[in-house]
Amino acid sequence: MKTVIKTTNLEKVYNSSVAPVKAVNQVNLEFKEGEFTAIVGPSGSGKTTFLNLIGGLDKPTRGNVIIDDTDISSMKESQLFDFRLKHIGFVFQAYNLIPVLTAVENVSFVMLLQNRPKEEMEKRAKEMLEQVGLSDKINVRPNKLSGGQQQRVAVARALASKPDFVLADEPTANLDTESAFNLLDIMSKLNKEENITLIFSTHDQRVIDRARRVITLVDGAVSKDEYFDK
Amino acid sequence: MKTLIKISWRNIWRNRQRSLTMILAITVGLWGGLFAASIATGLMDQRFKTGVEQEFSHIQVHNPEFLRESHPRHGIANWDTLQNELSANDTVVAFSGRTLVSGMIASANMTQGVNLLGVNPQMEAQTSSLKINLKEGEYFKEDMLNPLLLGKSLADQMNVRIGSRLVITFQDLNNELISTSCRVSGIYQTANSAFDQRNIYLLQTDLNNYLGDTTIVTQAAMLLKDHKLSDDFSDSLQKKHPELNIRTWAEVSPQLAFYNEMGMTMFMIILFIILLALAFGLLNTMLMSVFERVKELGMLMSIGMNKKRVFVMILLETIFLSLSGAASGMAASYLTLLSLKDKGINLAPLGAGSLSEFGFEPVVYPQLEVSFFIFLTIMVVAAAILTGIYPALKALRLNPAEAVKAD
Repeated sequence: MKTVIKTTNLEKVYNSSVAPVKAVNQVNLEFKEGEFTAIVGPSGSGKTTFLNLIGGLDKPTRGNVIIDDTDISSMKESQLFDFRLKHIGFVFQAYNLIPVLTAVENVSFVMLLQNRPKEEMEKRAKEMLEQVGLSDKINVRPNKLSGGQQQRVAVARALASKPDFVLADEPTANLDTESAFNLLDIMSKLNKEENITLIFSTHDQRVIDRARRVITLVDGAVSKDEYFDK
Repeated sequence: MKTLIKISWRNIWRNRQRSLTMILAITVGLWGGLFAASIATGLMDQRFKTGVEQEFSHIQVHNPEFLRESHPRHGIANWDTLQNELSANDTVVAFSGRTLVSGMIASANMTQGVNLLGVNPQMEAQTSSLKINLKEGEYFKEDMLNPLLLGKSLADQMNVRIGSRLVITFQDLNNELISTSCRVSGIYQTANSAFDQRNIYLLQTDLNNYLGDTTIVTQAAMLLKDHKLSDDFSDSLQKKHPELNIRTWAEVSPQLAFYNEMGMTMFMIILFIILLALAFGLLNTMLMSVFERVKELGMLMSIGMNKKRVFVMILLETIFLSLSGAASGMAASYLTLLSLKDKGINLAPLGAGSLSEFGFEPVVYPQLEVSFFIFLTIMVVAAAILTGIYPALKALRLNPAEAVKAD
């Protein structure tokens, strides 16, 4: 399988001049196409920082992040904006939809920024909303949707543009059990159908139980990297 | 861009109450400012119009010696030639040759120092608003001996009526004192009570007869097609007649020119205050709007909305908000001006009587040129863009990774 992300000697140090804290410490990992990976670990273990580094939202102090043979660690900020837009999908803990746009407009938004043709955008956005079970909510704004429904729209938005991989930072943290299971079923299905690499940071055992690969971080370093046959 | 416009427009309605308050503030501010400016413009324009029509005309011509001595012997020497030239000139709409003499007027109970103006009734009626301003009596009654027209304020003060006999006294060309009896043919009233108080109109033929020379003309006043032509016309006439003193209305009455300039200055001051208030209001609103949306802005930047687009989005929101207020403010102002177009505002109950001492009518007709509305729209957009830059820069300084987790 093709390697989508590769990190080499990845380090992120905060407050380096006063009291250095290594949020990510010498992480060497590879993520293959279509993997369904959970990054786990206690609070402060560096999960979010690691996701930010591989998502191009933060720059490493040392080491490299290579995505599809491109080293993003040395990219300029403007290049990173463009790179994120074209290659990475994001799902956030608090859904973070655009409140003034409808569900279908939210799902289309990334494709719109990519200047995709209108017909293609609309077709794909509706298709994605159907896949996440919200075909009856396409013209509804986020404030009229439940938390679980909003997160499903966020997932549809992240996957609609067919990115190289999707990063999800604690996507089920704000959801009740039923909504969380529902979301995980959808993400698992899309992971298989669309063959998109999904990487989660999570505390949630429900997510961990679904993952086919679980990476445990402790003090910023990889303490375990396990594969499960599911 | 279409989506950015859509998002920006919808964003300003997310906090409906705050946006409406801001729009209302801009509306009221603009309406107040424009209304004040329109009154100022109306007053100044009216003062200019009455000043030109009643007192100064666009161009005045004198013998330079007359301006020094004010003696009727210093008349315009080549009046016939000048008259022919003016008649043939397309720029000149009307002109009047006058004889000016300082004198006294006496009734049974009082005497008053006045300017005696000998005029040709037909020429004067075309050049000034004397005939239009006649409130009582007739415009130089034909069968009356030595008919005169005097101002209402002077008539009231002297307690005279139509047909009353008055005695005027002045020096003739040989400095001999002449006294003659006249009758009140008409009483005029202009917006300037001080003007009415000091100017008496007689037939030029009568006055010149008493002076001892029937051909005397000491002042030529003329109206042009447009007051803006005054400077050029004055220059060209002066070149042709270097022996004469030729002045534009602004040179004859620097006060009138000052009023005109003051009107524009007031415009600018009012505009500046409006835009300053608008800018601070907008700045506050937009900063609040940005600070409330830190998480959302972080998300937008995370998923790849570049800084240029975020910047444009915030600027568009500022522009939409200000233009909404500007549009309603200008519409309200326009409707107000439209409703007052014919009836005007009577300032008399507010003590505007004293305004007539300075030549202002008690009823003011507020007015603004369309170009001012266009200019104001451009200025509002410019102010909005300048104001929107700071909140937009604040948004750009956000770190997407941190902003997306903001509370």
